[in-house]
Amino acid sequence: MVRAIMALPLETLKDRAADDALLERFGLDLDCALLVGDGDTDWLVKIERGTVTRVTRGPLIMPQTDLRLRAASESWARFLEPVPPPGYHDLFALRRYKRLQIEGDIRLMSAYLFYFKRLFALLRKT
Amino acid sequence: MKPVAEPIVGRYLRFEILGKPHRLYVEEAGAGIPLLCLHTAGSDTRQYRGLMNDPEITRHFRVIAFDMPWHGKSSPPAGWQTEHYRLTSADYTKMVLQVCDALALERPVVMGCSIGGRIALVLAMEHAKRFRAIIGLQSGATIDPYYELDWLHHPQVHGGEASAAYVSGLMAPTSPEPERWETLWHYMQGGPGIFKGDLYFYRGADGDIRERLSAIDTRVCPLYLLTGEYDYSVSPEDTRAAAERIPGVKFTVMPKLGHFPMSENPALFLSYLKPVLDEIKARD
Repeated sequence: MVRAIMALPLETLKDRAADDALLERFGLDLDCALLVGDGDTDWLVKIERGTVTRVTRGPLIMPQTDLRLRAASESWARFLEPVPPPGYHDLFALRRYKRLQIEGDIRLMSAYLFYFKRLFALLRKT
Repeated sequence: MKPVAEPIVGRYLRFEILGKPHRLYVEEAGAGIPLLCLHTAGSDTRQYRGLMNDPEITRHFRVIAFDMPWHGKSSPPAGWQTEHYRLTSADYTKMVLQVCDALALERPVVMGCSIGGRIALVLAMEHAKRFRAIIGLQSGATIDPYYELDWLHHPQVHGGEASAAYVSGLMAPTSPEPERWETLWHYMQGGPGIFKGDLYFYRGADGDIRERLSAIDTRVCPLYLLTGEYDYSVSPEDTRAAAERIPGVKFTVMPKLGHFPMSENPALFLSYLKPVLDEIKARD
């Protein structure tokens, strides 16, 4: 069996996000079904009233999503470095160099951009 | 904590800018060679707090910064409620010259960042004789759009938080957290639609000046370009591409800095700026 190559430790996201002061500050009233693509693996992150309530690893059959962020695992791996190199250090750095695909409700993403950036930054090793 | 009074002094200057009466907020510190500083799109003079509080600089330079109209403590002109604010290259250029005249600055050094870094190139092209030296921070001759501006001014999105969030990644992750969040606070306080309106000049109709760069004569006015490595809006490669078209320009990449060098990490930025200012002073 070929093991999928993944970079993002999304299975730990719920714990990492719990009681985070920045998410609490910037996530006021946020409800979102966020799809995260890490190479060939999709994850569904359910956020209710600013709290990460469920993280599901794909395959996802017919996911209903508000926002979809996908990148190659190699890009996510560099993003996760404790001090990431220029061009990999932020979601929009990845976007700028066409390493991140962003689709869905861009109004929602813009309104809660600090929240989403923080969510991914929390996945960095500490 | 013992109270400390900073040496920065601010005042309001009333005069006409682009044919309309304005009340412009100007602050300064120090004495000597005038050094006029231009803030980034959607922000204000507070970005230059590190420079104005550095005695080594203010001993030889009169550091001056103004909040552009519609920014910081400079209000928009009367009648603003029926307009969409849109900055143009020509208006920005005129505004800088009018401020120099209003303050009777004699051949100042001008230093601008981001849109200010772009206008620094335009000033070098069109008004070199009026300046002692020009310093462009995060200067590029064109920009590759990587996000939609529409959401920076929309009734369903908090423009201040959205603008701050969009620019937040432009800083180096190693910059001190308090300075980074201070820089973002300035964005959060921006007026509705103002960051977007500034970028009109930057990304809009007159947003590509590559072909005009060869008109810059650095023998008339020395030009320095400094760019932080973490900036992906104007990357070191973008500034290098511009610098390659300008004979005699001095270009420096600043490791561990991003798009807001003077504000995100003032101490580190000053270590790159001081040699430039020393050179300008020595030539004077």
